[in-house]
Amino acid sequence: MSYLLPHLHSGWAVDQAIMAEEERAVVIRFGHDWDETCMQMDEVLASVAETIKNLAVIYLVDITEVPDFNTMYELYDPCTIMFFFRNKHIMIDLGTGNNNKINWALKDKQEFIDIVETVYRGARKGRGVTNSRPDLQF
Amino acid sequence: MQAPVLPKPRLDFLNTRPPPNYVAGLGRGATGFTTRSDIGPARAAPDLPDRAAAGGVGGPGAPPAGAGRGRGKGGLEEEEEEAEEKGYDENQKFDEFEGNDVGLFATGEYDEDDKEADAVWESIDKRMDSRRKDRREARLKKEIEKYRASNPKITEQFADLKRKLVTLSTQEWESIPEIGDYSLRNKKKRFESFIPVPDTLLERAKQEQEHVTALDPRSRAANGAETPFGQTPVTDLTAVGEGRGTVLSLKLDRLSDSVSGLTVVDPKGYLTDLKSMKITSDAEISDIKKARLLLKSVIQTNPKHAPGWIAAARLEEVAGKIGAARDFIQRGCEECPKNEDVWLESCRLATPENAKAVLARGVKAIPQSVKLWMQAARLEHDDVAKSRVLRKALEHIPDSVRLWKAVVELADEENARILLNRAVECCPLHVELWLALARLETYENAKRVLNKARETIPTEPTIWITAAKLEEANGNASMVVKIIDRAIRSLQSQGVVIDREAWMKEAEAAERAGSVATCRAIIRSTVGIGVEEEDRKRTWVADADECKKRGSVETARAVYAHALSVFPGKKSVWLKAAQLEKTHGTRESLDLLLKRAVGYCPQAEVLWLMGAKEKWLAGDVPSARAILEEANIAIPNSEEIWLAAFKLEFENHEPERARMLLGKARERGGTERVWMKSAIVERELGNVKEEKQLLEEALKRFPGFHKLWLMLGQLEDRVGNLDKARDVYDRALKYCPNSTPLWLCASHLEEKVGGLSKARAVLTKARLKNPQNPELWLAAIRAEARAGNKKEAEVLMAKALQECPSSGLLWAESIEMAPRQQRKTKSIDALKKCDHDPFVIAAVAKLFWHDRKVDKARSWLNRAVTLAPDVGDFWAQLYKFELQHGTEEQQQEVLKRCSAAEPRHGERWTRVSKAVENAHQPTEAILKKVVVALGKEEGVVASPFFGKAIFDGISQAGDRMYSEILSWGRVLSSTRPGTVLSTVFIFSNHGSVATCATTRGGEEQRDNYRVLDGKSGVRQALSDISQRGKGKAEVVRQESCRTCWRGLQARGLKKLLDFGSTFKFVTMGCFKSKEAAKEPESTTTEAPASEVPREAPAETPAADTPAVVDATVDAAAPAEAAPAEAALPAAAPAT
Repeated sequence: MSYLLPHLHSGWAVDQAIMAEEERAVVIRFGHDWDETCMQMDEVLASVAETIKNLAVIYLVDITEVPDFNTMYELYDPCTIMFFFRNKHIMIDLGTGNNNKINWALKDKQEFIDIVETVYRGARKGRGVTNSRPDLQF
Repeated sequence: MQAPVLPKPRLDFLNTRPPPNYVAGLGRGATGFTTRSDIGPARAAPDLPDRAAAGGVGGPGAPPAGAGRGRGKGGLEEEEEEAEEKGYDENQKFDEFEGNDVGLFATGEYDEDDKEADAVWESIDKRMDSRRKDRREARLKKEIEKYRASNPKITEQFADLKRKLVTLSTQEWESIPEIGDYSLRNKKKRFESFIPVPDTLLERAKQEQEHVTALDPRSRAANGAETPFGQTPVTDLTAVGEGRGTVLSLKLDRLSDSVSGLTVVDPKGYLTDLKSMKITSDAEISDIKKARLLLKSVIQTNPKHAPGWIAAARLEEVAGKIGAARDFIQRGCEECPKNEDVWLESCRLATPENAKAVLARGVKAIPQSVKLWMQAARLEHDDVAKSRVLRKALEHIPDSVRLWKAVVELADEENARILLNRAVECCPLHVELWLALARLETYENAKRVLNKARETIPTEPTIWITAAKLEEANGNASMVVKIIDRAIRSLQSQGVVIDREAWMKEAEAAERAGSVATCRAIIRSTVGIGVEEEDRKRTWVADADECKKRGSVETARAVYAHALSVFPGKKSVWLKAAQLEKTHGTRESLDLLLKRAVGYCPQAEVLWLMGAKEKWLAGDVPSARAILEEANIAIPNSEEIWLAAFKLEFENHEPERARMLLGKARERGGTERVWMKSAIVERELGNVKEEKQLLEEALKRFPGFHKLWLMLGQLEDRVGNLDKARDVYDRALKYCPNSTPLWLCASHLEEKVGGLSKARAVLTKARLKNPQNPELWLAAIRAEARAGNKKEAEVLMAKALQECPSSGLLWAESIEMAPRQQRKTKSIDALKKCDHDPFVIAAVAKLFWHDRKVDKARSWLNRAVTLAPDVGDFWAQLYKFELQHGTEEQQQEVLKRCSAAEPRHGERWTRVSKAVENAHQPTEAILKKVVVALGKEEGVVASPFFGKAIFDGISQAGDRMYSEILSWGRVLSSTRPGTVLSTVFIFSNHGSVATCATTRGGEEQRDNYRVLDGKSGVRQALSDISQRGKGKAEVVRQESCRTCWRGLQARGLKKLLDFGSTFKFVTMGCFKSKEAAKEPESTTTEAPASEVPREAPAETPAADTPAVVDATVDAAAPAEAAPAEAALPAAAPAT
């Protein structure tokens, strides 16, 4: 399903994509199109892209082709999702301990939509860290 | 599933090459993060080998200060190249001292050497500065002086003058004039308004404030808790008004006393202002004072101006100073004696005893003033004095009509005549006086007077009309026409335009005054004036209609008469005229008119028929007959007339004559209608053979006329030749396959003879031939329902509704068929599909009725009746409803409306009305019978009122109805609580009547039953009912209740008693058990009904009885609904 989503082929393109978007959140999937986990993730991403188009835009980045962010964002997992809003990295509290990204494949569309919505709302309100699950807040 | 499409320029980064040396992430100022030190540091990332090879770009590790600039150290080489081209780097901050080199040693440390170097440089600077210090300062000073000279200070400018102030003495200082206040705020005030704000405005503003600020906004701000006393500005309105008044008066005096002597202020304007001013409170005293000043100035300025004086006087009057007011007005009278208003005002203000004197002076001053004289007359108390004054006035002003009229009004008849004689001499042009005189004179003199009047005022039509009326009143009817004719001629010759409308109005007025001849004459001579030749008929008919609408019957009649004299051959005009006579005229006049009409248009059937019908309605059958004979001669072969003649004979019970007439008609080649009527006559007379013969002959001639076929089929059916009947229907359907009634009859026959399957086949065929026919569908559904195939019926209904989705008939049936809880939704669906269908509306009304929503049910039934006044079923429903829930008047009203509507259609209605024995019944009787049939159909028990109505029906219908109705009538009548709770009358088939009454005496409660046998029993029951209707209580003695109960039970009357706790209306029970549903048929077939109750007691064990009753009695009053068995022992000691 990765072919349905736009790819970013250089670090510059990634930066531009993050900066150019003013009203929506930017969702970037770092990984490889051939990777199994990524395939699962892409499936979900591609199917919800239209649904969340008012909230967020989704890009795919091949971390071999564009290794610029590997160190910076610790991209060592097969599949990583990160959120940005107005050139700001949006962290999400998923209860995993790592608020920076989602480094596993989400298989539930609705869950993903919910997360994006939470990110969008939180980001709009200017929160750096959004809480995707209020029940996990202690 | 596509990525959102972004606007073009925003996505172009996907395809463009990144700028050289671009460091991803840092380019947008991003910082990474380190979460897992085991993997490696994030920020100080080493150069990536492949990246360095590609673009020579270093890693993202940049010093913190440079992070935001988008420049890494790794890009130095390229940067230098660029800098060489431009000479400096644009992006770098330019330092004044160091130029673009700021970054060069920026990282170097500031050590001792630097410090020393700085100190050296500083000392050099100091030295250089001191070297040219003097010169520089001198130059600076010079520049400042130069600037001062060109821009001197104000104080310096006046410095020399100021110095001279020393020489000023104290006096001189004091005499310096004060400078005015020229500040902007005061400048505004300098604008002087020459139009003062009217005091009305001030007053209104004040009043508004009083009303609005019931709660001061400030006090509201303080939560309304504290009194805003201290906060309100103390505005002494009185003082303000006073001050303003003073200023105004000064200004006014100044203005009016100006050099030219002309006033700038318009005194009249002031007066109107003052008039509109009204005194409402003490606070206005200041206004009064002001007004007083104002008026004073008005009077002073222009003493010959009467309104000024009047206003001044009125002001004083309003202020309550009546003396001052009189003073003013007296002075006014002296100053302007020629003004009648002043005198009138003076009279008004004067004391009653002085008023006359004042007026006397006034009249002396202006003897020509009618107003003054009239006022003087009004002041007198008795008529004699009044007329004396008026006569005196007339001496001075002989040509005042008002005075003359006043005098005449006061005088008695004799004097009035004399006075009027003189009056017409003095004011000859006044018609009213002439007419009044004519009215008072004798006939002869009046004629003379009118002639004279006519000579004086030749253009006045009213004189002519009065003359005509005079002639008419004196019996000279012939003169009337002449006079009106002459009037028209002479008026035309005088050049007066004859206004047709106006003359018509005069005619109507004459009619209202009772002068019919004048009215006619006027119409005759004027109605044709100014109407185009071709418009005449239409205009006249319209005129007559208008007159009729206004209630001027005589005028309308005259218009028609004239129209008919012009168009004697026009049928429509005759008809209109006849209509008028019918509604407003007498029977004789109508008769006369119709006679004339048929004389002129002998070919108009309608006129003949109308005449005959009138006669018939009047009860004069022979003359009706004569008219029809005459008509027959005039129009020899008119079927209408033949049939009318037939109907006349038939309805008047002259079947022989009718038969003869029809025979003649048939000979003359009558149409199918004649044949059908012939057959009907035979049917009613019971001559089966003749009927059959006639029908067969008729069918040979008119095989396409389905009614004949129907009659023949029904004849065979009636006689019992079912096979023949079937044959007839088969043949009939070949000729008229589109006749629904034929199909329906055929299916009924099949159902009767061959069972459901054949009927079903017939109906299917019928539906094939006549698609989308709701009646056929309905018949099929009912046939299934009758046979007990409820499922099948429902399926058919669904199909039917698919085929005819907007048929109210089907929808109504489907509502009835639906189980009770679904009816409401069904009815909503039905209303959606066909909103204005009377069948649906009636069905909905029935729902409301069952739910006891009386008002709603009534309005819906009325809607149904208005939508389809021709359907008798609805009338029957409405009547039944009113019998149950309505008052006596409402029932009568329904009866009246129904007979006016003369319904002909409706399933149940035709079943009753077309029955042979009901052939000549009036509508009311049929309605009652239909109601009875309805009740039977539904197995519903009647309430007392309903019962009463049924008995009315019975007494009309005769003994034959007894058994039919009484078998199912259960009448519950109730009386005062505490005595008899309820009484039930149960009428059995063979005429025996059981009554059962529940009584309550004190605490205990008893049921009493009695079986009354035979006709005498019925009569007793009837009298019981009527007594109960009046509220009398009667305890019926208990006798053999057990037999009664069993008899009832055998009949399947499961629910017997409904003891409602209120006694006005007893809930209706429903007998619709299986046995009950079959019961009516058994009564009509006149089975030996007496057997039924005799068998039943044996079958039903007595022990069952309480159980049955218990199960079915309403839960409303379980204690009272005591079963018979339980009640028995309680009743026993009482007897």
